[in-house]
Amino acid sequence: MTSKELDTRFSELLLTEGSDSVGKTNKLEGQGSNDDVQITCFTEDLHDVTFHFQIIKLTKQIYVWIGCNTAKFGHLYAAAITRPNKTVAVTPVLGGTSDNTGSGIARRLVLKTGLNIIVACNIPKDSPTLEVTAERKLFEKLKSLGYIKPRPEGLPVSSAHN
Amino acid sequence: MYSSQPTRFPVTHKSVSLDIKGNKTDIVICKYDDKFLVIVTQIGCMGTILHARKEGSVSTEPTFSVSVIFGKRDEPWLLACGRQLIEHISCSGSSRPLVLSLGLKDHSPETLKELTVAVIENCLCYLAAILKYAIS
Repeated sequence: MTSKELDTRFSELLLTEGSDSVGKTNKLEGQGSNDDVQITCFTEDLHDVTFHFQIIKLTKQIYVWIGCNTAKFGHLYAAAITRPNKTVAVTPVLGGTSDNTGSGIARRLVLKTGLNIIVACNIPKDSPTLEVTAERKLFEKLKSLGYIKPRPEGLPVSSAHN
Repeated sequence: MYSSQPTRFPVTHKSVSLDIKGNKTDIVICKYDDKFLVIVTQIGCMGTILHARKEGSVSTEPTFSVSVIFGKRDEPWLLACGRQLIEHISCSGSSRPLVLSLGLKDHSPETLKELTVAVIENCLCYLAAILKYAIS
């Protein structure tokens, strides 16, 4: 199969470049606001460490990448709420079998947002301080983006269940 | 105490929204230091996740390994799509592995062929060109 042998038709085509989207949210607009793919990239310099965050919000899921000083992909985790007792299940998807840095972040993201979460994280092993710091900055950003909204009772819910 | 300095974000990404067989399809491609990530979704989530990488030495014909690491393991056309993309990445001069997520409404060969062409023509060529420029 080669591309020349295929008959392709594209009725809608939108291109956005995000290489300089520090602190910006790029949105792929669909037919309705609920169909938007929102990409947010930002960097935080904290003491001697630089954290890079990339948040890709899909309709029913959030993908998060956390880079600690480098842009390596890191280990990949998936987390979701499981029925019937609504506990959170986390599993390593790529790497992470002997080093579960990032799995705690994935678990707590699910608890905060109520959504399925995919987290890629290259925070070094045995660095709980870095993990806590990164998680705090990430949650602040998610709240500012409206992906975590506080309930009147004080418990956070996701804004994506619309 | 904390400062946020405006810097160039180290991960390049490119996004496309298009129509494939009547289904709105969002494609996001990200280039990390050591991997490419391609997200293709029609259903609002990442769906099945595959890992594809090039194997073999420089002097021999490259071989490729593609495996499902999360999700449906009984859809061979998903693996074929991953195989096409990793081969294209390799031919473009990069040995980076690929993490490919496919959240599709249908897994027909026609959809996956059209999708593979869309990813290659609209996004991967751009990123491969960036990579070539960066290492030249």
